[in-house]
Amino acid sequence: MSARPLRVVGRPLARIDAIEKVTGRARYVTDLVLPGMAHARVLRSPYAHARLARVETGRARALPGVVAVLAGADLTWCDPYFGPAFRDRPILAIDVARHEGEPVAAVAAVDEATAAAALELIDVDYEPLAAALTLEDALAPGAPLVHTREPLAGHFADLSSLRPRPGTNVCHQFHFARGDAATALASADLVVEDTFRFPAVQHYAMEPHAAVAAWDETGGLTVWASTQNPYSVRVELAKMFDVPLARIRIVVPHLGGGFGSKTYAKLEPLAAALAHAAGRPVRLAASAAEAFQTVRRCSARVTMRVGFGGDGTLAAVHCDAQYDVGAYADIGPRVVQKATYTATGPYRVPHVDLGGAAVYTNTTPGGAFRGFGVPQLAWALESLFDVAADRLGRDPIDLRRHNLLGHGEAFAPGDTPIDGKFEESLGRAAEAIGWTLAGAADRGRGLATMLKASIGPSVSEAIVRLHADGSVSVLASAVEMGQGTRTVLAQIAAEVLAVALARVVVVTPDTAITPYDQTTSSSRSTTMTGRAVQAAAEDVREQLLRVGSEALGLPASDLALEDGAIVTATRRLAYPEVLARRFGMAGGELIGRGVVAPGRSAAPLGGSTPFWEMAVGAAEVSVDEETGAVSVERYVSVADVGRAVNPLLLEGQDEGGVVQGLGHTLFEEMAYADGHLLNGTLLLYRVPRADDVPALECRFVENADGAGPFGAKGAGEGSLVPVSPAVANALARLTGVRLRDLPLTPERVWRALRARERRAPGAI
Amino acid sequence: MIDAGARVPIRLVVNGRARELAVATHALLLDVLRDDLDLKGAKRSCDSQVCGACTVLVDGLAVSACTYLAVEADGCAVLTVEGLAEGDTLHPIQRAFVDAGAVQCGFCTAGMLLTARALLDEHAAPTREQVLHYLRGSLCRCTGYRKIVEAIVAAGGGDR
Amino acid sequence: MLRPFALHRPGTAEEACGLLARLGDDAVPYAGGTELLLLMKLGLLRPRHLIDVKRVAGFDAITDGARLTLGAAVTHRAVERSPLVGRHCALLAAVARHVANVRVRNVGTVGGNLAFADPHSDLATLFLTLDATVELVSGRGRRELPLTDFVRGAWETARAPDELLASVRLTPWPSGTAATYVKFGVHERPTLGVALALCRAAAGARVGEARLAIGCVDARPARVPAAEARLTGVAVAELEDVAGAVAEAAAAAVDPADDLHGSADYKRAMVAVFVRRALRIAAARARGDVAPAARFPHAVVA
Repeated sequence: MSARPLRVVGRPLARIDAIEKVTGRARYVTDLVLPGMAHARVLRSPYAHARLARVETGRARALPGVVAVLAGADLTWCDPYFGPAFRDRPILAIDVARHEGEPVAAVAAVDEATAAAALELIDVDYEPLAAALTLEDALAPGAPLVHTREPLAGHFADLSSLRPRPGTNVCHQFHFARGDAATALASADLVVEDTFRFPAVQHYAMEPHAAVAAWDETGGLTVWASTQNPYSVRVELAKMFDVPLARIRIVVPHLGGGFGSKTYAKLEPLAAALAHAAGRPVRLAASAAEAFQTVRRCSARVTMRVGFGGDGTLAAVHCDAQYDVGAYADIGPRVVQKATYTATGPYRVPHVDLGGAAVYTNTTPGGAFRGFGVPQLAWALESLFDVAADRLGRDPIDLRRHNLLGHGEAFAPGDTPIDGKFEESLGRAAEAIGWTLAGAADRGRGLATMLKASIGPSVSEAIVRLHADGSVSVLASAVEMGQGTRTVLAQIAAEVLAVALARVVVVTPDTAITPYDQTTSSSRSTTMTGRAVQAAAEDVREQLLRVGSEALGLPASDLALEDGAIVTATRRLAYPEVLARRFGMAGGELIGRGVVAPGRSAAPLGGSTPFWEMAVGAAEVSVDEETGAVSVERYVSVADVGRAVNPLLLEGQDEGGVVQGLGHTLFEEMAYADGHLLNGTLLLYRVPRADDVPALECRFVENADGAGPFGAKGAGEGSLVPVSPAVANALARLTGVRLRDLPLTPERVWRALRARERRAPGAI
Repeated sequence: MIDAGARVPIRLVVNGRARELAVATHALLLDVLRDDLDLKGAKRSCDSQVCGACTVLVDGLAVSACTYLAVEADGCAVLTVEGLAEGDTLHPIQRAFVDAGAVQCGFCTAGMLLTARALLDEHAAPTREQVLHYLRGSLCRCTGYRKIVEAIVAAGGGDR
Repeated sequence: MLRPFALHRPGTAEEACGLLARLGDDAVPYAGGTELLLLMKLGLLRPRHLIDVKRVAGFDAITDGARLTLGAAVTHRAVERSPLVGRHCALLAAVARHVANVRVRNVGTVGGNLAFADPHSDLATLFLTLDATVELVSGRGRRELPLTDFVRGAWETARAPDELLASVRLTPWPSGTAATYVKFGVHERPTLGVALALCRAAAGARVGEARLAIGCVDARPARVPAAEARLTGVAVAELEDVAGAVAEAAAAAVDPADDLHGSADYKRAMVAVFVRRALRIAAARARGDVAPAARFPHAVVA
């Protein structure tokens, strides 16, 4: 069959769930109502670190309307520990509470009011313990230990390389070296070095975490969950409650945003435990304030030394990164491992010595958040690149261009070669921001790049069914959380099978129905799940052609699919007719299967990235020198996406990524004092508003060179990563002031500007 | 006086349909809409009148249903996202959101649409400035807002 | 989620006061609920009786006369759109237009705003420059207090438990007064607010009386007499010359604490910056400049 022009893929089509969303019909976990459903509320620790001397639940149990009360000590009938990296997180605190807001007890009752009233009847005697609240606290000699015993290994084979360091708060240390960085730095013509800080940030998905759990008469468990990876949640629940995988159903309706906050199990184990104890379905819906106590971005302190030759050639990078993963590891150690591996960004560096540590503290657990540890390191590297450019008297873009990895070049031995054209992104970003044009005196421009590996290896499977009327079902478990994956998967199936998009239905993820998909994260769905759907659709296409070939008496190579039919130069056989011929009646369906399972590789992390996520950001800023308020006036993001399956959705996703990046660049930071979160509500935690958004352009480099369907590859995280360094670089070029700590609050910038004035004018 | 715990009869017109209900004094409009009337479009997010996800219109005025007593809506017309379209015909603001790609996860969408509807009722062709002023209390974490603002301006007939 | 309470809907102030007197600490007045219901949802306040004052005759009225009177249950939205407010104090309408967000303005009331005495409030700061007095009623009678005496501190007022805040009365500035309100801050509620009014002396070219109030920075808003004195008698054309001294006087008058809004010295410095800016804006308005309003990041100029 000859290649025909794409008809559905590559077009800016409205998302397939748009109508249900604008009419209020889209259903989220908290919208579900089951017969007999009880409502849960959680009692949380007011202390950052405390021994639970007594948890008395008798009075709560006696309250009419209460159907279950659980404390940590009650969880003897299941394995109460979970967590992807280590099983260090109990469903409810056992003996010790390790962060403010940790669940200590929970109640299910006939309604939320009764559950809330019951919580007030639970007596807890807390004995406060010394707490490790910051990286400095936690790494100091003799620091209070957040965990005193070695945590249990997790259930995921791909995470088995993670290791805690007993007797310390370090829950994982990663080291990656190539060449001899120490010697190279000693002999480099220029070494720039500094320590950068990145704040703890709240995802603030508009929908807080929620789960509805129900056990059935066969001992099976169904959980409707706001999760990005139903299959990971299934594994954890199966082990915890000793139930075969086949008896657990995780169903995922629409998610009200994820951004990493809903990866791996969060509230699902507690909801399942309560439902078990109550003997009826239980709904557990976190408040926004509770989301702040559930997961956050890992804050970090990054010290980087970057050596250059006199001609600007990168010689070596030394990185010492410490990430604060909070009280429970969640996926934090993997964040550290994976990000540290790519600490050198998109550059050719002969000598590297990269170290990263995941450190426990008595704060909200840190986990996955859009960028997965990369923003913290790019903040350091991309800032230092501009410092080096200044010192070398080079244009920052030229210096970057000089060191960029080229298309097809190896990033690390055994890993996927670079699969995009950074030069093109860099050039387009520079052009769009007007890099070489004279700018207004009160504006500064800055630029930054990013490179991120996706998860490798990982598995995606899909099933595509062509029904008797020619409509199509796509069964896949990529979760729709706003990014548009259902639309993209539908476009891929529609393209392969030559049907209208409206004829394709993407089935809601349900582990009893839709096949395995490892996770909806790491920008992987279009590439990995997309490829599985493509393969499944191609499987159906082959079957169609086989039947058509027999029916028409022509070789399959003479047939084409067009507009829901098999066509030749002279004949047209619509799919319903094809199926009727296949089955001899108007029944039956063609079922296609697609599997993507690249397996382990010789790459340093044990699996090759399926693609490299690559983006460049350029900012134009102004500053109110008297107040320190930074205004991002214009922003350009260019992402190398291979092919935009749906440019409208991708543009929206990247615009959102930039604005989310502006959040941690300008405003956002979870502020703690004495172990208490000071700003755990939107009254005090400031996320970007519509009036904060600059003139914003998100563009794409499309060379159809990605590993995904039709040359696509992953995107959606890339636009966020360069924002902080691009803005800080612009600010530095405007004012001469270099900031190392985020966010760039007005006061922080104001202090830096005042410090500059105290120094000799003009000096940096 | 209405006693604590007592249920008060209220009459309201929700999305054009007259409803009679009995609600407690402390019942919040958001819970009554969602639980008693099964109108799940309005969402609870920040629960503190900052984010706008629970926005509904009471007698044409945008309110945070999460912090608004249901008894206050007695005798009022309440408009929720479910009442924006006329049958299968989307309201222009809904159409504009679909076309502009202003919807992602959808959790803020109902509130955005109703806020926009209130704005359009006040200014038929709002400027970008007016849109931004009205959206001061409407948060979205997915879209970066650009397409939302564009959609609202477009729905008013302004430049896209 | 709220805990149960009894709801009272008195039609007269007498009735409302009777309820307050009878129910004591168990009762709180309730109007828009934008502050009260938040605290109740968090369990920080657990009143057993809410006295809804929205149906009390006259509480939703805006009336003029010698003074401009805003009933306690007048919403921000009503202030924004009131022709009377527009005629007597257009700046007040402009400030009301920027209180919180549209939903809070539709429901939240002037009385609730003052009675809660949240330090991060716009209205109280502006009202200080309008010689505001509040009217309190109870079974014991009526009294009228200057706003400065009413707001005692953060979330603390002079209202006795059996008293009801009935209205606030403002003395509109004489015609020809140039005024502005500028607020600044990154968070949901402002970090600082500056209200400045320059009333012209009879001759017109000089400032007769100046009124400057700073809000949000301290536990309660306050006028700055030392700064006002620096402005009195200054020729409109020469206001820029005293801007530094006025700003310094204002900064010296505040006593901020370190908190999430910023350190004490940052806030003090910002008071100076925004007083200077407010003065520049008011001076331009006094000169009759019709230039578009100044814009500053994270700031609202009314």
